[in-house]
Amino acid sequence: MSPVRALVLTGFGLNCDLETAYVLEAAGARVERVHLNRLVAGEKRLGDFQIFVVGGGFSWGDDHGAGVIMAMRLKHRLSDELMDFIGKGNVVIGICNGFQVLVNLGILPGFQDAQLSREVALIHNDCGTFRDQWVHLQVNRDSPCILTRNLDLLELPVRHGEGKFYAEPDVIQRLIDANQVILRYASADGQPAGGLFPLNPNGSVHDIAGICDPTGKIIGLMPHPEAFNHWTNHPDWTWKRERSRREGRAIPEEGQGIRLFRNVVEHFA
Amino acid sequence: MAVRMEIALKEHLHDPEGMSLCARIRDYFGWEVETARVIHVLTLDTSLTQDELESVRQEIFTNPVTQESCFGTLARDFDWAVWVGFRPGVRDTAGSVAMEAIAEYLRKPMGTDEVAYTSKLFLLQGTFLERWQVETIARELLANDIIQQWRIHGPSGWKAKDGMGIVLPKVILSHEPSFSEIPIPTDASLAELSRERNLALNPQDIPVIRDYFLREEVLEQRRRVGLSLPTDVELEAISQARSDHCNHNTFRGRFRYLEVETGRMEVVESLFKTCIEAPTLEIQKNRDWVVSVLWDNAGVARFDENSNYSITGETHNSPSNMEAYGGALTGIVGIYRDIMGTGKGARLIAGLYGYCVGPRDYSGSLRPHLHPRRLLDGVVEGVRDGGNKHGVPTLFGNLVHHPSFLGKCLVFVAALGIMPREIGGEKTHEKSPRPGDRIVMCGGRVGKDGIHGVTASSEIYTEHTPAGHVQIGDPYTQKKMHDFLLEARDEGLISFITDNGGGGLSSSIGESARFSGGALVELDKVPLKYEGLDVWEIWVSESQERMTVAVSPEKLERFMALSRLHEVESTVVGHYTDSGKLHLTYGGKTCAYLDLSFFAEDFPQWEFDARWLSPRLRGLTEPVLTEPKDYGALLHALLVRPNICSREWIHRQYDHEVQGGSAVKSFVGRDRDVPSDAVVVRPDLRSRRGLAIAQAVNPVYSLIDTYHMVAATIDESVRRLLAVGARLDEIGGVDNFCWPSVQFDSRLNPDGDYKAAQLVRANFALRDVCLAYGIPLLSGKDSMYVDGHLPGRFGERHKVSGLPTMQFTATGIVPDVNLSVTMEAKVPGDLVYVLGETGDELGGGEYYEMLGYTGCNVPVLSPSRLLPLYAALEKALNRGVLASCHGLYRGGLGVHAAMVAMGGELGIQLDLREVPRKGRLRCDQILFSESCGRFLVTVQPQKRDEVESLLQGLPFALVGSVLDTPELQWIGEDGEIILRETVASLKKSWKHGTL
Repeated sequence: MSPVRALVLTGFGLNCDLETAYVLEAAGARVERVHLNRLVAGEKRLGDFQIFVVGGGFSWGDDHGAGVIMAMRLKHRLSDELMDFIGKGNVVIGICNGFQVLVNLGILPGFQDAQLSREVALIHNDCGTFRDQWVHLQVNRDSPCILTRNLDLLELPVRHGEGKFYAEPDVIQRLIDANQVILRYASADGQPAGGLFPLNPNGSVHDIAGICDPTGKIIGLMPHPEAFNHWTNHPDWTWKRERSRREGRAIPEEGQGIRLFRNVVEHFA
Repeated sequence: MAVRMEIALKEHLHDPEGMSLCARIRDYFGWEVETARVIHVLTLDTSLTQDELESVRQEIFTNPVTQESCFGTLARDFDWAVWVGFRPGVRDTAGSVAMEAIAEYLRKPMGTDEVAYTSKLFLLQGTFLERWQVETIARELLANDIIQQWRIHGPSGWKAKDGMGIVLPKVILSHEPSFSEIPIPTDASLAELSRERNLALNPQDIPVIRDYFLREEVLEQRRRVGLSLPTDVELEAISQARSDHCNHNTFRGRFRYLEVETGRMEVVESLFKTCIEAPTLEIQKNRDWVVSVLWDNAGVARFDENSNYSITGETHNSPSNMEAYGGALTGIVGIYRDIMGTGKGARLIAGLYGYCVGPRDYSGSLRPHLHPRRLLDGVVEGVRDGGNKHGVPTLFGNLVHHPSFLGKCLVFVAALGIMPREIGGEKTHEKSPRPGDRIVMCGGRVGKDGIHGVTASSEIYTEHTPAGHVQIGDPYTQKKMHDFLLEARDEGLISFITDNGGGGLSSSIGESARFSGGALVELDKVPLKYEGLDVWEIWVSESQERMTVAVSPEKLERFMALSRLHEVESTVVGHYTDSGKLHLTYGGKTCAYLDLSFFAEDFPQWEFDARWLSPRLRGLTEPVLTEPKDYGALLHALLVRPNICSREWIHRQYDHEVQGGSAVKSFVGRDRDVPSDAVVVRPDLRSRRGLAIAQAVNPVYSLIDTYHMVAATIDESVRRLLAVGARLDEIGGVDNFCWPSVQFDSRLNPDGDYKAAQLVRANFALRDVCLAYGIPLLSGKDSMYVDGHLPGRFGERHKVSGLPTMQFTATGIVPDVNLSVTMEAKVPGDLVYVLGETGDELGGGEYYEMLGYTGCNVPVLSPSRLLPLYAALEKALNRGVLASCHGLYRGGLGVHAAMVAMGGELGIQLDLREVPRKGRLRCDQILFSESCGRFLVTVQPQKRDEVESLLQGLPFALVGSVLDTPELQWIGEDGEIILRETVASLKKSWKHGTL
């Protein structure tokens, strides 16, 4: 069987491409990092891939709204290829800046099939500044999202200044009802944060950290699964190591974040 | 036509920027403003039609979910409105991105005269402030008049339709660019010219310069290219090349060093050669991992068999002191370019920072340009945006408050990169332009940025005069260039690369031309931000985000194609030659024609008298103190001190995990909020190998002896690395000196000779300790003239000199990150050991400082006594027998035992009677001495024998245990408990306490 192919977008201030490519490879995909203009020029074709990742970063410096200008460029220069890609049942993942791009592009939340519409927004954190911290996340097991399949609780870092998930109440309700909310900021025991800072680091409505479209194949999330690629990424790993040594247990070296990408690769297997 | 678009959050949404502003107004001035809202203004000076304007407003600049916008004004119901916009010529990245976006949306190129300007309108509501108060807020919080302009409006007079009207900060220079020849009949006339033009030529250099231009063979050669007298372009180029910044004249100077007390005299020919270069070369002989040092923009060391890492550090003090945000931002992205321009270019993997500023709550009578609180907020944010937007993790940093930095703040920036050891069979750390290679300038365009004193001296100040001498970095443009240049490097397209920093093209091309043997540059080819720059300005402008690259002619097409792909501007501005000349032309005419050999002429060495007055001669003594009785209150008081308390508010704003390799973070502990000794990253995610990085800075010790300041600082950085598991024999260092002026002047610098001696002694320590520890100096820089002249209450000015400071950055290899250790106590019941001896060394320390003393007994380092202990510790860490390891630094055992407890959220009991010591010491001395060479480690009881046998014969002792009850307990000399404090209360003081 031919390997699953993943494309990680680069250029114009995107910046998590190396580690995103690494976790996808570790999950079993064959990965290429491709500059946006190579896609636009037709040097590389989206149609040759099954997974398309727009990762973290500051595209166009995040001036005029995080992800806004990247979204406009994708819409102008790649929307046919992209809609075609999605129509074939392929997977699009937006992480952090990529999530901001997907909501501004309007393929998330994707209420109407094959139509671009801006329904939700990621805006400045309530705390007023960029934050880098690890969060606990509750996974919605009823969601069709293929990224978070078979997961319950996650710990991942968030690193953003504009990560507050916002939409009008009817939109939020619709997302909840359709199980399009995939991740919620939570306490260590998995209870939703209830807006409490810093468990909910940005003031996101309904503690929403990630959503998907109704098919579960277009996915956006603020936390960075690619940044938990090795157990030493976890802020408490030395404490866990000391405990496990004494209990004679071994801890797997792989970071929890890789599992999410393996879910996606296995989806195509 | 110019139009103004206003964009704001919908009214029912929380406005975090506005709320932060209210909090800052309260914090800075103690004034109440109930709410503030921020309107983003985009002023478009374009030829767009009404329909086009309307569609870009809706489609690009307004988020339909959260924002509203209009052409006109959204401002209503305010008590005060403050508009803040840039001055002409200040880098407005968001403005140029707006133009990119409009061109993209309309699918048509925009004209060069079509511009977008961004600005902000702050609406203050629910306040009784008067106009003078709002003016204070505008001046001291919202705007910096060096780069920004502001207008204040009350509700009356506000036009409901047009609002504040249109302000266009357009640069208009009605000036025909030219160059001219300048007569220099006498030394005195050249000296006068130097004053007039701010050339800052050293008086000793003047005869050498004149002699060159008057030489017959030089005149003859110049005649052939149509020149006779030196041109303004040449004199400016010489001024740059000979500046202390570029040439390090102080560190290469001759110091007549006299120890007044003993009468010992020593002449030091060059601090750089004797204390930096010589020891590093000596150490390099036995360390094959040292790859490239002492010549390039950064040092290069081996990471593993496939990769090298590069590292360098510098300061950006003066610009940050004037415009904190822009100065620090420009500093951090500038140091990144040093890494991008080392060897054939490295990929950035880390940024580091160090800030030394005045007291945050300063309320004295001196009036610095920026209050320390605002200055610190600004530099913190500058480094934040530079790092975060560049995708480079900001890993580690320091902050020191001291009143001496009111005169001028220190902003240290450092960066690391990684590069394959070889590409296409060529070593990546080697580079050289070949004659014929094209000189390509990549990145930003050239404006009047960073040109010395230009606005002050030669221009009439108008509303269209560019505010060029302070810049704002543009990480977005530079990140694009970074990605482009790495791709070009990997394709083997780069023969040579260097950055444009201080001195601009004059430095980057002037210096690289020496490798090939000459250069011909056509200055009219250099792309400009706006018309009207003089020729010499193009040559020396320090406009940011530019690299100079040598590309061989047959590779040029590919190089330019890649540049276009990445949408980075690249321009061929000339070519390298072997003519021996630096040959510049403008409009086909030669405007500079200098022999490269001229720069290596016999310029006289700078000379300094250095008189060392020992602490005894200066009258320093130990304070007469009795033992305190209330240790609980004392410890709380120490933990809230500005140089001890938590700095989480700073580092949380920095993306310290991007690139996915973080293994030991700057925050550790159960609550992830206690600072780690050092950080460890895996630059290659496929490998377990890590790089440990730490920095130390201890300027207060300089009050006693700069020798010991440097020695203790290097030792601290070494211990920080060891504590997380780095190898002792693969440690590299970077020294960054910041010093007040050391040239004696009976009137202006009456203690200049003492400061010179401080510098000499600091360098002696650098030499001695690096040799003893085997640390090569991979890179380093010096920044002199840390002096400020501050206005006082009566119109007088006070010279305030910063404490002599050296920040040391150290890197070490961690062979397997899985073996790294962190500092917090892990498990109740574990044994607590102190390694190393505590002496009566509280001088210059935090405890004395709190009580108002300096003291005399500064920590004294003895490397030969410490090294065996460090080697044993390294072995113990390698075997995984330590549950935690933490060095004891500023604040001593007392403060740092509290840190270990706070990190683990566990109690610790310490029996002070057991702590290894030199001589008789009281409890407060044991607790707060800052002796070098000490660690606190915790050990599982079952590992006790193994640990103790590894440490046998070395100074260490079992001093207590980790408690289940989260309490810090100290047992005093009589066996009684002298302190019992809950860890939670200590942490509360440390994180949220006030003095």
